[in-house]
Amino acid sequence: MVGTTEQTERPIQPALQMRGISKSFGPTQVLRKVDFDLRAGEIHALMGENGAGKSTLMKIAAGLIDPYDGDIFVAGKGYRMATPRDAMTAGIAMIQQELSLVPELAVDENIFLGQEKVRSLFFVNREQQIRSAREVLQPLDFHGRIDQPVAKLRVGEQQLVEIAKALVSNTRILIMDEPTSALSINETERLFHVIRRLAKEGVAIVYISHRMEEVLALGDRVTVLRDGQRIGSMSKERANRRDIIRMMVGRELQEVFATGKSDTATRKPVLEVSNLWLENPAPTLARPMLVENVSFGVAAGEVLGIAGLLGAGRTETLEIIFGLHNGTSGGEVRIKGKKVRLLNPVDAKAAGIALVTEDRKRDGLVLGSGIDRNVELPVLRTIAAFGLVSDAEELKLAEQTIARLGIQASGPKQPAGTLSGGNQQKLVIGKWLWTKPRVLLLDEPTRGIDVGAKAEIYRLIGTLAEEGLAIVFVSSEMPELTLLSDRILVLREGRPTALLAREQFSHESILEYASPGGTIQPEFGELSIAR
Amino acid sequence: MKRAAQSIGKFLLQTKLFWGLAVLYLVGIVSSPVNRKGLNIFLEPGNQSDVLRQVSNNGIIAVGMTLVILTGGIDLSVGSMMALGSVVCAMLLTQQGWTNASMLAIPVLALVSFFLCAYLVPLIAIHATKGAAKSVEKASPAARWIGIGLGAILAVASILWTVAQIGPKFGVLGVLIAVPAVGLTFGAINGLFITKGRMQPFIVTLAMMVAILGIARLLGGSNTAVHPVYSGTNATEDFDVLRALLFQILPVPGIFFLIAVLVFGFVLKVSTFGRYIYAIGGNEQAARLAGIQVDHLKIAVYAISGMLASTAGVLYTAQYRQGKPDAGEGAELDAIAAVVIGGTNLMGGRGSMLGTLVGVLIFGFLGNILQLRNIDSNTQLVLKGGIILAAVLLQEGQVGLFWRQIRSVFPTIGRVPAKRLDSPPVEEAGTRPQA
Repeated sequence: MVGTTEQTERPIQPALQMRGISKSFGPTQVLRKVDFDLRAGEIHALMGENGAGKSTLMKIAAGLIDPYDGDIFVAGKGYRMATPRDAMTAGIAMIQQELSLVPELAVDENIFLGQEKVRSLFFVNREQQIRSAREVLQPLDFHGRIDQPVAKLRVGEQQLVEIAKALVSNTRILIMDEPTSALSINETERLFHVIRRLAKEGVAIVYISHRMEEVLALGDRVTVLRDGQRIGSMSKERANRRDIIRMMVGRELQEVFATGKSDTATRKPVLEVSNLWLENPAPTLARPMLVENVSFGVAAGEVLGIAGLLGAGRTETLEIIFGLHNGTSGGEVRIKGKKVRLLNPVDAKAAGIALVTEDRKRDGLVLGSGIDRNVELPVLRTIAAFGLVSDAEELKLAEQTIARLGIQASGPKQPAGTLSGGNQQKLVIGKWLWTKPRVLLLDEPTRGIDVGAKAEIYRLIGTLAEEGLAIVFVSSEMPELTLLSDRILVLREGRPTALLAREQFSHESILEYASPGGTIQPEFGELSIAR
Repeated sequence: MKRAAQSIGKFLLQTKLFWGLAVLYLVGIVSSPVNRKGLNIFLEPGNQSDVLRQVSNNGIIAVGMTLVILTGGIDLSVGSMMALGSVVCAMLLTQQGWTNASMLAIPVLALVSFFLCAYLVPLIAIHATKGAAKSVEKASPAARWIGIGLGAILAVASILWTVAQIGPKFGVLGVLIAVPAVGLTFGAINGLFITKGRMQPFIVTLAMMVAILGIARLLGGSNTAVHPVYSGTNATEDFDVLRALLFQILPVPGIFFLIAVLVFGFVLKVSTFGRYIYAIGGNEQAARLAGIQVDHLKIAVYAISGMLASTAGVLYTAQYRQGKPDAGEGAELDAIAAVVIGGTNLMGGRGSMLGTLVGVLIFGFLGNILQLRNIDSNTQLVLKGGIILAAVLLQEGQVGLFWRQIRSVFPTIGRVPAKRLDSPPVEEAGTRPQA
């Protein structure tokens, strides 16, 4: 525990009390007897590294994860949060990082989904819904049209719709999970304004984030989780950057990674892409293309970071290079100066390109199959003679991968789905290494991985670069980008805005270039004027 | 001691499917009537061989269905495919010259032999160059051209050969080559729509089920046309081979079924093709991103399913001495049921050919037992439905959950409520998290 108990014990009931909450997913325990208190009208920041258990704890409170161990009290009354409906009756609403709106439905229909205003029997009274929606949305500074599908709104506006949705169901406790990850600077400010106003009206707010600046600016109290345990809480007055980081990481940050970066800018690039573009399947005036004019080169042994807000087209850029958008994308890709035609992942693989996707569970692994069956997938034909797979070679491949990358597993047959996040990530990288790639594309390589494994992944990326791979990696974590990259390309709404050299790295400059309305480096500015 | 008990328990759990079959078999022995000589009818070699004969058509279709379901798909068109197979087979056997059936069979056979050759030769070339990862995905242009050339030669040869066949009538060899080719083609069309058209397998094969039935009827001449096949009078003698009993005990259709199980069971277990099928069913996106040619493989799987279904149509024609468009009515559902009873997950990625074999046998023996007891055919349907539900409930291992959920609806059935606090614990000074 940090600090001492304050004497000013207020008589009012806490809005939310969680006692001894524990939760395991398979063999990994994600929460260990966590206590959490929330007062009415406070903004309570919940901090921690990826995988610390912040989201899991709050999902339990919102009835999204069941079963769990422990007790939950809302305004002094015991609740069992088995379903989101239970949480709703208790007045708890959670806005998740991935918004849960129905894109085809209009704003008001989304707000009143499940509790439609009806005229008689079951005829929906749209006029009244729209009127009520406007009443709720007006104070939130919402500018979009209420009778339009939410798919046409910007992410920031969509978030306001989510908040409105929570407000109409008499929410007293509002949980927000990383709400600013897709927002520009202006939108973030507006959101903070709204949050402060709600708190003033008595709504208790849990604000999950790992961005220090936001938390310090917004929170009344800060609680830090690490590895599924509550490390401590502190009030706004006591909170400072240094303590919070120490509580989050458990040690000072610098020790994690350090390499002597060589100058790679002068070397000949292995991968060159120019003028990549990708059509927007739902084009808007502001965003006719998801990706436009993206060009860069990466040399052997170089690490190029791609920065940007959520939805800036970073993932799509990697996907175009990997041949996943055949028909809707274009541009030129050269490997060692030779132009290659990449129509599908088969071509990309043959050209020596490997992609490690952001969501390894959805896109990277066959979770029900063992390590051996996953490792062999990209290179199965090399360990097969005339279509018959050699079991011995399969086992050898798996064992070598486990040893080389230090995967912690009970053996080569352990199902991929039961590995921890870090080991899963190593497995995905490991299976691609067998294709002997020249270019490695990594999309959020440390998402959902605990701190220790993160450091290992960093070291792995460093080693692979030293071995001569050209690495392009996308990340939302500023420290990671500045730590690993030799250069950083910043994307904003599908267009490049800056290419930063190592001495130009700073969180502020990256955010400035990434935010809509921010500045653009001159060489990229001309391009957008020419359009 | 305890560990031994545990591993025995685990073993029993893993092999529960076979125990199910064994129990059913015992029930069959016990419940069977005895004949005049005092012998158990169920155990009679003749009865056992009858069961094998009866299940073989469903079994052959189920083999293809297993592959399809393992990729996470479904093939509803197999029943119609079987009907088409039986009609084409009967017409080729009994009618001379240019008929609807031969006009379909000849171009289809040429097409199939060309594409198979053009695709397989480069693939074999890839597999022959085991080793360096760089070269394994792409065949050399030479191999491609050799494949195309050989394919063209083979196509011409197949046209010449089939045209020579229609002068007299097709023999058993002729139909065993031509009819599966027809099924293969229509199956490949299924696969093309599913992969290149990005359509749901359910929808595509449902549409094909309707369309192919129509094609079968159009070919046959009139809606309910039955084409009788009397080998010796209107067809060649050798066609009788397909309904023979080898060594007085092994029915030839059963041999077809067992060979199909063996071949495709082997393919699933040890070949790259099998690994890819499991990978696609387990996580199609991951397979695609691993640079696997998911589309090609899926087309192949549906083509194989169509080929096996139309082969079943040939055997149907042999067995019932007729080809007719309503031959395969409900065959798709029987096949799906057998696959599912065999423990293959409808979501794909999990299951085995051995399971399908057992599933088919369970289905067959159940029908046989009920028939021997003279149980009304409608009651049989009810019992079969019950068996499917029970088998899947057991297979998926969700019995406990099922029970818990029933209890949560009817809490009075012996439920012990989990201990939970009713009010917040009293905070003692000093233990309260600091504010």
